[in-house]
Amino acid sequence: MHRIEYHEEKFAYSMLIPLLAFVIIFIIVPVLGTFWISLHRDVTFFPTKPYVGFKNYLFVLTKRDFWYSVFVTVSFALISVALETLLGLSFALILNEKLKVRGILRAIVLIPWAIPTIISARTWELMYNYTYGLFNYIFTKLGIGAINWLGTPVSAFFAIVLADVWKTTPFMTLLLLAGLQAIPNDIYEAAIIDGANMFYRFRSITIPLLKPVLVVAVILRTIDALRVFDIIYVLTGGGPGGATTSISLLAFNYYNLGDYGVGSTISILTFVLVLSFTILYLKIGKFKEGLR
Amino acid sequence: MNEETLKKILLIIGATLMTVICLFPFTWMIVISFTRDATFLGSTSIKFETTIQNYITVLTEPTLHFLSYLKNSIVIATLVTLITVSISALGAYAISRIKFRGRLTIPIFVLGVSMFPQISLIGYLFKFIEKLGWINTYKALFFPYVAWTLPLALWILLSYFLQLPKDLDEAALIDGASRVQTLYKVIIPLSAPALFSTALLVFIAAFNEFMFALLFTTDYRARTVPVGIALFQGVHGEVPWGNIMAASVISTIPLVILALVFQRYIISGLTAGALKGE
Repeated sequence: MHRIEYHEEKFAYSMLIPLLAFVIIFIIVPVLGTFWISLHRDVTFFPTKPYVGFKNYLFVLTKRDFWYSVFVTVSFALISVALETLLGLSFALILNEKLKVRGILRAIVLIPWAIPTIISARTWELMYNYTYGLFNYIFTKLGIGAINWLGTPVSAFFAIVLADVWKTTPFMTLLLLAGLQAIPNDIYEAAIIDGANMFYRFRSITIPLLKPVLVVAVILRTIDALRVFDIIYVLTGGGPGGATTSISLLAFNYYNLGDYGVGSTISILTFVLVLSFTILYLKIGKFKEGLR
Repeated sequence: MNEETLKKILLIIGATLMTVICLFPFTWMIVISFTRDATFLGSTSIKFETTIQNYITVLTEPTLHFLSYLKNSIVIATLVTLITVSISALGAYAISRIKFRGRLTIPIFVLGVSMFPQISLIGYLFKFIEKLGWINTYKALFFPYVAWTLPLALWILLSYFLQLPKDLDEAALIDGASRVQTLYKVIIPLSAPALFSTALLVFIAAFNEFMFALLFTTDYRARTVPVGIALFQGVHGEVPWGNIMAASVISTIPLVILALVFQRYIISGLTAGALKGE
């Protein structure tokens, strides 16, 4: 029996080798390698790349640009995730009702998800255009007046948030809808018999029972939002004047300048920020229990 | 007003708003792609002229290379899908069926890895790919994409394989089938829906990826659609919105059709990948 088990165990490892090889060579090693680079003064066109210990970290952590990009990234994540949770919950509640057009509505909600981020960002960029964009056309018609959407720090920030919320709400909707569908119907029926109105039912049945899914979905989306890059790269390029530069984009800019040491340092700091949320997600998501 | 009516009114308003919100940017993309002058809203006398010239330009103008981008994207995403689904099926089978040390740790570790910010790999990965001489080749994107999509694929398949009764493959094993035969003759045919939804999600993820493609490709020989569209330059230098939107529509329509036709598979895949413990 022991021989069979040993044989099986070896067989299991051999089935996992390709998967682990890809993950280790193309993800784990690069992260460790990036950490290694962050300990060096590594600038392209500079022949030597001396070991400098944590000097790059000291440099980055005392730099205003870095803390500003942390501020941009964290506020982006907070506002964006809060809005898409509210919107996603509303959408999920609508899709959970037995409507005749439910199938069509569910298909419509999937559309923003299916459009590549870059393509949706370029469409929003066009709609935000000062002189010929759709938004300013409507705003002028309504008498509100044109807004320089991508031209001022605050409006550019919210322009990015809006485009991101549009793109990511479907995913949130689908996760929350799955959570809503798992709530047994008889709880609601019992509450109706007891005379509870729909707002009371929402507050005292839906929200508490949805909470586990809600928490997992919010953490998952927060992790994603903290890594934001694509949408900002297209919409503002981090501007105006660096006002919407996220941490990932800041690191990218250093790589572009050829400064791999500082770029890697910012990348590793991003990694550390996201890692704490990842650990939270893995703990709260009860993934281990699901495997037993 | 009684509760039923109130609820009905709220639902109608909500559903209408939802439809408008979800559809208007996509609709605008289509409108502009068929417009002769994409800046028509800015001119004093608004003239809206329809045309298919933008499509013709994008598909025939050789200096735009749009068809090359599309070909690169489709070839890379297809190869990635085939390999990722095969590799993750093997792994998911081992984890769901065989007892071994690390059975619980490996999938959790892989899931954690998928949350790493892409930027945290770039510093080293760029140098590595450069050293291999892979810059501007399919290989430069294929290998990182497989690694990057494996965790999602593994978890979707894992959640499905764990639901399949173990008696099925135990019966096959007792009948003398090997583990490999059991996987191919029993598990794989039964898992067609899960394999399909995994394949769809992997394909879409690979098709949409931007950061690696931006850094590891330099021109039309390997550049993919998202990078092509992000860096789109007109023949004459100005921002050619009509062309960009036509290229966007051509690249988006197949994805939207896939999503609509196979919405059940996509929804089950997305939720299985994210909400394991629930």
